[in-house]
Amino acid sequence: MKEELETANRPDNTAFTQQRLPAWQPMLSAGIVIPGFVLIGLAFIGIGVALFIASQNITVLEKDYTGVEITSDCYKCSNPSDKNCTCKLDFSLSNLFEGPVFFYYGLSNYFQSQRSYGVSKDDYQLSGDLDYFKTPISACSPYQYDANQNPIVPCGSLANSMFNDTFKLYQIVNGTKKLVPFDGKGIAWWTDYNIKYRNPSVTPLKNAFNGTVKPPFWSKPAYELDTSDPSNNGFVNQDFLVWMRRAALPDFRKLYRRITEGDYASGLPAGNYSLEIGYNYPVLSFGGRKKVVFSNVSWMGGKNQFLGIAYLVVGSLCVVMSTVMLIVYAKFKFPEDD
Amino acid sequence: MPSSNLVGNRERQFVVVIGFSLTLYLTDITWEVRANSRHFHKHRRRRSFLCFRWGRYAVSHSTLFKYSPLTFLPLTLYEQFQRAANLYFLLMVVMQCVPAISSIPWYTTTIPLVIVLSVRGLKDLANDLVRSLTHPPITFSPSQWKDVCVGDVLRIHKDQIIPADLLLLCSSEPHSLCYVETADIDGETNLKYRQALDATHTEMTSDPTEQTLAAFNGIVLCEEPNSRLYTFRGELHWRGERHPLDSEHILLRGTVLRNTDTAFGMAIYTGSDSKILRNVGQLRVKRTQIEKVLNKVVIGIVLFLLLMALLLAVGSGVFQGRVSSQIEVLSALTRGNSPIYTAFLTYWSYVILLSPAMPMSLYITFEMIHVLHSLFIGWDVEMRGGVERSIPAQARNTSLNEELGQVGHLLSDKTGTLTQNRLLFRQCCIAGNVYGKDELPSLCPTSASPQTLDLSWNPFSCGGLYLSDQRLVDKLRGQQCTQSRQFLTTLALCHTVMTEWRNGAPVYQAASPDEEALVGAARELGWVFLSRTRDSLTVSELGVKRHYQLLTLLDFTSQRRRMSVLVREPEGGLKLYCKGADIVILERLQKDCPHLESTERALDLFAQSCLRTLCIAERTVSEAKWEEWSKTMAQAAMTTRNHDDMLEQLHDDMERDLKLLGVTAIEDRLQDGVPETISLLRQAGLKVWVLTGDKKETAVNIGYACRLLDPDTRLLEGDELRERAGEKSALVLTGPELVNIHYRSKDLENLLIQEPEWGARFMSLAGLCQSVLCCRVTPGQKADVVTLVRKNTASITMAIGDGANDVNMIKTAHIGVGLAGVEGGQAVQNADYALAKFSFLQRLLLVHGRWSYRRIAVFLRYFLYKTCSFALVHIWFGFFNGFSAQSLYENWFIILYTVFYTAMPVECLGIFEQDVSAECSLSWPELYKVGQRQELFNTWLLAATLLHALYTSLVLFFMPLGVFYNSALDYQTMAVTVSIASLFSIILLTRHWTKWSVAAMCVSFGLFFVCTPITHSPKLFEKSPVDYYFPGTHLTSTTNAFPSPVVWFTALLTAWTAVLPSFTILMFDLFSDFPQVHITKHGPVELQKSGFRRGDSHRRSSYAMSQGRGIGRLITSGASRRITFPPVDRRGTLGDNVTLAGQTQSDDAPKNITENGSSK
Repeated sequence: MKEELETANRPDNTAFTQQRLPAWQPMLSAGIVIPGFVLIGLAFIGIGVALFIASQNITVLEKDYTGVEITSDCYKCSNPSDKNCTCKLDFSLSNLFEGPVFFYYGLSNYFQSQRSYGVSKDDYQLSGDLDYFKTPISACSPYQYDANQNPIVPCGSLANSMFNDTFKLYQIVNGTKKLVPFDGKGIAWWTDYNIKYRNPSVTPLKNAFNGTVKPPFWSKPAYELDTSDPSNNGFVNQDFLVWMRRAALPDFRKLYRRITEGDYASGLPAGNYSLEIGYNYPVLSFGGRKKVVFSNVSWMGGKNQFLGIAYLVVGSLCVVMSTVMLIVYAKFKFPEDD
Repeated sequence: MPSSNLVGNRERQFVVVIGFSLTLYLTDITWEVRANSRHFHKHRRRRSFLCFRWGRYAVSHSTLFKYSPLTFLPLTLYEQFQRAANLYFLLMVVMQCVPAISSIPWYTTTIPLVIVLSVRGLKDLANDLVRSLTHPPITFSPSQWKDVCVGDVLRIHKDQIIPADLLLLCSSEPHSLCYVETADIDGETNLKYRQALDATHTEMTSDPTEQTLAAFNGIVLCEEPNSRLYTFRGELHWRGERHPLDSEHILLRGTVLRNTDTAFGMAIYTGSDSKILRNVGQLRVKRTQIEKVLNKVVIGIVLFLLLMALLLAVGSGVFQGRVSSQIEVLSALTRGNSPIYTAFLTYWSYVILLSPAMPMSLYITFEMIHVLHSLFIGWDVEMRGGVERSIPAQARNTSLNEELGQVGHLLSDKTGTLTQNRLLFRQCCIAGNVYGKDELPSLCPTSASPQTLDLSWNPFSCGGLYLSDQRLVDKLRGQQCTQSRQFLTTLALCHTVMTEWRNGAPVYQAASPDEEALVGAARELGWVFLSRTRDSLTVSELGVKRHYQLLTLLDFTSQRRRMSVLVREPEGGLKLYCKGADIVILERLQKDCPHLESTERALDLFAQSCLRTLCIAERTVSEAKWEEWSKTMAQAAMTTRNHDDMLEQLHDDMERDLKLLGVTAIEDRLQDGVPETISLLRQAGLKVWVLTGDKKETAVNIGYACRLLDPDTRLLEGDELRERAGEKSALVLTGPELVNIHYRSKDLENLLIQEPEWGARFMSLAGLCQSVLCCRVTPGQKADVVTLVRKNTASITMAIGDGANDVNMIKTAHIGVGLAGVEGGQAVQNADYALAKFSFLQRLLLVHGRWSYRRIAVFLRYFLYKTCSFALVHIWFGFFNGFSAQSLYENWFIILYTVFYTAMPVECLGIFEQDVSAECSLSWPELYKVGQRQELFNTWLLAATLLHALYTSLVLFFMPLGVFYNSALDYQTMAVTVSIASLFSIILLTRHWTKWSVAAMCVSFGLFFVCTPITHSPKLFEKSPVDYYFPGTHLTSTTNAFPSPVVWFTALLTAWTAVLPSFTILMFDLFSDFPQVHITKHGPVELQKSGFRRGDSHRRSSYAMSQGRGIGRLITSGASRRITFPPVDRRGTLGDNVTLAGQTQSDDAPKNITENGSSK
């Protein structure tokens, strides 16, 4: 009875209120810390090696076609006033370029991450809301209306500046050009063409764009971006989607096509190739560069030597640190006389 | 408001000076109170709203509720936006609503701000409710209190607390005397008396009806309300006459009416105007040192952010001028804007974007942790006191916890705090035999049933004897030992106690608790003091009633240190009974006094047990001697020259050739565990000072008893202060000395200039001493001492007390602790912490305080680290997005990062972190010094933390940059990577692992994995594409950020690299600390059971009387209740007036003798 009374008077006697929660402090003994550090270091080194090897196995072919050098075939197109200029880029492969080969275009010194540039689009319009076809949001300004107050669809600087160089890859087989088939499907994010971007449910699509004008830099309206595939037009055009997905840094690549079909499913065989470029996109005015990149991928994505090396460095650092720690610990634990 | 408070202090000190050294000319007599005229005072009542105040007379009650439903919102907003931080965040919200500069949407700051404001507002509201519900008796008590208005005539009954400062008009006692207990005001437990003016006395007592009182129409003109407790100046205008008033006519609020059936008084000062409330000092918001450092650092961070924003804005202007003007797609966006204008906008955008580095959640989490720490204090079972451990410790101010871990100076009250204010007659030595158990009394566990003696033979026995020795009882009853019988006769006769019969038993009313203990002990042992008249004493000696004729009473003064009575025994013989300090008595003994040696041994023995001793002696006086002596005495009364010396000589003449009877030993009972606590705190590096209103001897005695002073400590008093203090010395100061030293200069202007220098000198002296005892200090001076310490040292001061006289000091110190003791609730009301016992300070400081300091220091560093490392990433990202204030995180991540994802680990750290257990904290008090030296939270450590944050932000950005540069991975993927990395790095830093913190970690991760798919969900995107712009970070679908191995590998590496330095430092710290902990390790503090070795010179003989003289004069002059003889002189009996007291006594002592002589 008395005990009951006492406990009734002290209702709060729990481990939490009395701050007697069992604690585990893993860092207290050198026996845990130093091996722990070594283990982490070794694990990092292991990951580093794996990543480095994976990265080494990836073949990358990168070609600049801006046309800065006079020797380049594209030099002739570097004058911005020259419209519909075509140039070609020849290269040869001595070995089989293992597939599936990804074909990227790359831009440098191009600030897609600029804030006002990034928000210069109309998400409502791009998700197919016809109200915003007539009155795009003001964030699109100055690409909101054209000089005649016609709404621009798709509006905004981001859409307007869409990359519009075209590429055709030929393998030179016995002097004849053999077209390497490009696969342009599935290069964009699934959520992009299913959720973020949708065409208005108007057939034909062209009618939805009545009373609107195409972005000023565009040569074709949005509903005619891909003449070969009617379903790859408007806002769900894969090239458009890839462009609209902003890069974080001023040097970036964007996936253009994949080479997965026909004779080239297993890769690009050794031989001579010619890339025919429809040179439209001006970058020289701001010191930008354009390039094409052929690359295959591994389990960890594209070629990335930095990550593997960084892992190796940090891992080794941990091991070195634990050695130093061991020495320090030994000094403290067993002073001079020992 | 430190500055205004400082002025307040100055003023107070100023006033103190005047009170002591000059006569009062400063304040005007402008305060007018008209008796019984409410209408006159009513519309002059003081009212206030917010900071505006008007009206003259304070209302008696403080408003119970600060808030009403109508005023809550404006009041709480007004209060909260006085905090700079809240204003800053409001500014952020306003800025985020401007579209041109809004880099992150408005709700990122608004939601937290609303939460902060509402949480804090609700907390204030709850505090307000709690405060008004648990109002203590002293301010709440009888509901009539609040109705008291100046000018009202009040009737006070016996044992009631006086509700306002009253002018005593009359009382039921003769001469309208009345007795008050001032323990709540000055800590003294003896009764003081007050007396009404003759004019009002004669008028009111001749016709004591309510009509007379209601018709009273005097007007009191007096000083404006002030804080001087011991002075009052004014006059009563009544019936065309002017009667001067002084403090003797005033009953102060908070004192208790004793021994007086009823008293009538007119309210002069009510409510906050009353002297005691004027003395409680100004209320100020206490801020901890950590908070101050934090505020500095926060300002530093904000300035840094503004500077960074400025640099980035310049960058953006340059970028627009040089780079983006070449890029048509970009230049089109800023067409028409000059680079300067763009830079201007970008500046504000960056200010907004970088603002999460100093987030609001810091303040709210900080507050939450504070509250929880306070709850821990309240929950602690080992800090529960009182009956059945029903009184928990209470943190009334929730924001000072970490400062408990940094206290450098503990300033303690004595009465009721260190001592129980109970005096127990524990031992005695009669004729060389020591009676009573020889044990260290303070180790006695309970005093509930000390009586083992069978005292049933004694009809007057009512318990309360703490001396149990059957031998003594046998001896007394056996009638063999005359010495022991004489001894008890002395105890029963030589005192100034008055009796009052209640239920057939005498109840003793003593001016000093010592006397009460002695007379009480005599009663228990069969020598029952029954009653006294002006010239006789009646004692029942073992059932035999005997009347002694009182011839003269030589009263106690602090100079004489003894008192004697000369009585005529019923048999006719004359006896002088004397009790006094050992030194005084021993030098007045007759030659070859027996038992002297054994008595001296007993004195040493008692001194070792820290008992207060009094020597008891007697002398047989011959009739001739008495006649001669009384004649000389009468002559001496006539002479005016060398009056004092003559009196002293006469007294000396009578009190000589004494025969030593024995020694009494009284224990001034300490609170439980006080010596242990003080010695532990001293080991922890605290300086313990005692500030008391009590007299010097008692304070020093207690100082030894509670181990504040070691046996071999040298005491520096008075002029010795100018000497150099050594290691083992302690300062003993008294209030008047304090004032004298403080203001040696008469020139008031010089005084203020000299003061700081004096303070520094004094503190450097005090710093060398192991302790300082300040005796006879007023509440205001207590606070001044605290201020002195605060001003001249960097250490944290803690004041602990239990009475209204400690309130000012409690408020002035960094931390105020109130003991829920016997002296009333004022101290607790104004304290930051309320404890049931002094000894709970051990746990409060060494366990809770130390943990709190550690937790909060680590928490704040960790929090600043996490927010800064998180937000500063944007600086580096600026270089890669054209300085456009582009955020690297998704909006929702920014919002949820501090609130959801990283809040819990950091909170766990702030709540559960324990470097060592409670037991270890108490066993190694040295660990406490970490807090005193501010080792865990100082500017340098914070700078290091911020540097680490800077490093982390660099790693967080540049490590992913290396991976993402020139790759096909997009902005969203990078944002997710950096987010995960920052989350990882924060969680990896967790150090204290309990199941709670592991759970918190899991929950945090879980929340991240739950919330991210939600905020990235397509559904929400469809609802509002602008707010949820990252759809597609699913865990399942391909081609997006989450399942990509690159993201995870990058995040892992980044996080590990970010925390690597702090881990390494932590490891090295551990290695270098670890052995030291073991070296300093020693057994838990054990208290030796034995007493101290101390030489003869350390006997402490004393007597707890007021510094002024005793009330013997009142008894012999016949002013007690049964005798109608007007007291001649009433001046100078107040406690503070030492010099006057001596003079006045000599004035009327002869008078007593002549009276007695004539009556004989």
